[in-house]
Amino acid sequence: MTARTDIDSDRLIAALDARVDRREQRRAFFRDALGAMAVTGALGLASGASAQSTPTPTATPTPTYNDQDILNFALNLEYLEAQFYAYATTGAGISSSLLGGAGTAGSVNATGATAVPFADPIIARYAREIAADEVAHVTFLRNAIGSSTVVAQPALDLSVGANSAFSAAAVAAKIITAGQTFNPYANEDAFLLAAFIFEDVGVTAYKGAAPLLTKTYVEAAAGIMATEAYHAATIRGELYRKGLVSGSPLIGWVQGISDARDSLDGATDIDQGITPGTTTAPAGGVTATPTPTPTPTPTPTPTATASPTPAPTFPVSNIVPADANAVVYSRSPNQVLNIVYLNAAATSAGGFFPAGLNGTIKAATAS
Amino acid sequence: MTDLPTDTILSAIADRRAERRAFLRYAGGAAASAGALSLLAACGGDTGGTATPTPTPTGSPTPIAADADVLNFALNLEYLEAQFYSWAAFGQGLNPGLTTGVGIGGTVTGGAQVPFQDPVVAQYAREIANDEIAHVTFLRTALGAGSGGVGAAVAMPAINISGDANGAFTAAARAAGVVGSSGTFNPYADDVSFLLGAYLFEDVGVSAYKGAAPAIGNKVYLEAAAGILAAESYHAGLIRSVLYRKGIDASSILYNPAILNNARLISDARDSLDGASDTDQGIGDTSTANIVPTDSNGIVYSRSTGQVLNIVFLNKAAVTAGGFFPNGINGNIRTSAASG
Repeated sequence: MTARTDIDSDRLIAALDARVDRREQRRAFFRDALGAMAVTGALGLASGASAQSTPTPTATPTPTYNDQDILNFALNLEYLEAQFYAYATTGAGISSSLLGGAGTAGSVNATGATAVPFADPIIARYAREIAADEVAHVTFLRNAIGSSTVVAQPALDLSVGANSAFSAAAVAAKIITAGQTFNPYANEDAFLLAAFIFEDVGVTAYKGAAPLLTKTYVEAAAGIMATEAYHAATIRGELYRKGLVSGSPLIGWVQGISDARDSLDGATDIDQGITPGTTTAPAGGVTATPTPTPTPTPTPTPTATASPTPAPTFPVSNIVPADANAVVYSRSPNQVLNIVYLNAAATSAGGFFPAGLNGTIKAATAS
Repeated sequence: MTDLPTDTILSAIADRRAERRAFLRYAGGAAASAGALSLLAACGGDTGGTATPTPTPTGSPTPIAADADVLNFALNLEYLEAQFYSWAAFGQGLNPGLTTGVGIGGTVTGGAQVPFQDPVVAQYAREIANDEIAHVTFLRTALGAGSGGVGAAVAMPAINISGDANGAFTAAARAAGVVGSSGTFNPYADDVSFLLGAYLFEDVGVSAYKGAAPAIGNKVYLEAAAGILAAESYHAGLIRSVLYRKGIDASSILYNPAILNNARLISDARDSLDGASDTDQGIGDTSTANIVPTDSNGIVYSRSTGQVLNIVFLNKAAVTAGGFFPNGINGNIRTSAASG
């Protein structure tokens, strides 16, 4: 980073180039938006049921759900996040008084789950802050939905083992190979990777759900989405900072997780790692996207001295996963289910939800 | 690592409990009427100025404005952010072709490239600058700077992002107590000054988009606004966490323990500008991080358009210009709230 002044214009161009490959998405947005405007113009401003069928820029057409359906769907995801962060920070789950409701109540498979032995007290504090926020989201959604229709926590798999959901996700991300174990509680790097698996999914899920909600809950949902995005940025920023340390495999592993999510949720490219990709590699031949390292270690414990590889450098980071307009992606409920079930095919259970979600939104079609 | 996580979590929750009650009272009342109104609400019937059942946990009620008014309001803010980050990261402002439009066009006072010492901060600055430029481009296109769109995009108004003694940043920093009454705050001086300048803007952008979201009738634009809101939230979370580490971690590049207090002072200044409600938070202290500024429900705050203008005009009264926008902003939403 020494020759700053003379290469800044190159960096600017390179950084802008990173958005070029997304230009098609911008065009697609306005095709959809203007098409929607034509419809709403004919019917009066944003009127009636047609607003429900307005094409969304990404995601497959979604059946009509009411607020309760959507909020209960979100609650299932918040149960998952709240329990994960609770185990990671305290070694125990959230209060049982927050788990009851309609549907099939399930327990958390937390075999092997322990409080993460954080070496960095700042990451420990981030984890505790996020844990508190996720519990608050569970509490808020349960109150907002109301006791007559709120769904129970379904069965969750947050365990440690070769057949766990985390290990299956890590295999899909090429962090480990089949038969090995990914332990998200082993150390703070593993914890950050596990948090990364969830956080951007939460953001895209709330964003995709926002237009499906009535006005009553749009602002609250937008506020929860914003909170999840603060979380996601904190996690992504820490992974980026640590990933730039010479020899760290973290950036490649993050890309592997992003690619896995992307392959689970259909053909569209709506996920990004924490670097912008090869198009913005600075002069000098540094590979901007380290290939996901299928290192056969049982747990991802990167050792900074393991490799003589120079620290990767990038002209820009990619903390925000966004399209050409710097607008964060959406996922339909179906796409979210594909990811948390760890299955791109039609299914109603699997992955982190071994018995499926509770509520009306639980069956994923193939993406 | 000796702190008790459970206690920390519980006390953090307890602090915010009163706010949750206030929200649920509001939401519960709204839900009662929403049963009857839900279809109407789904219809985007708010555009006619009917009473909306929207629960606004914080902030004063926002006047209903057409989508174009809301998007143009946002565009003014994006001009400000894009110019600041573009200068800081690249040493140049927006392409003049991106600043034309309806209303009184203005120029930028100030702006300079930051001599970054931490390459990671420089990379973050460039990423955010690119995002903000993209937001300007996107909103201008959505509003019909070219063809189509929901209305004409406004021109960039006069913007003051100067780092000198007469600049808006210095006025903000003096008001906050980050510098003395005759001191100068230059956000381009170094990495930490840049981060504090960015912090000054980022949470405001988040709360502005969140406050505006329910006022947008077109579902496609609502989803896009939510996506910009999310991008601003990623930015804000990133800036806040980098500030926290540099204020706490003695081994980090440019460690500076004064950061935590300065972040709190800026938060307090924003809070005093936008009225009596507590809608802002610093980044934490030496035992607890507070990256996300939220209420007791873990929900990020909203600001009304009038409250946002209080902050960027650096004036708690109902005015139409000042601070970062010395000649005001363009469009139909242009007056700050009477917040003090």
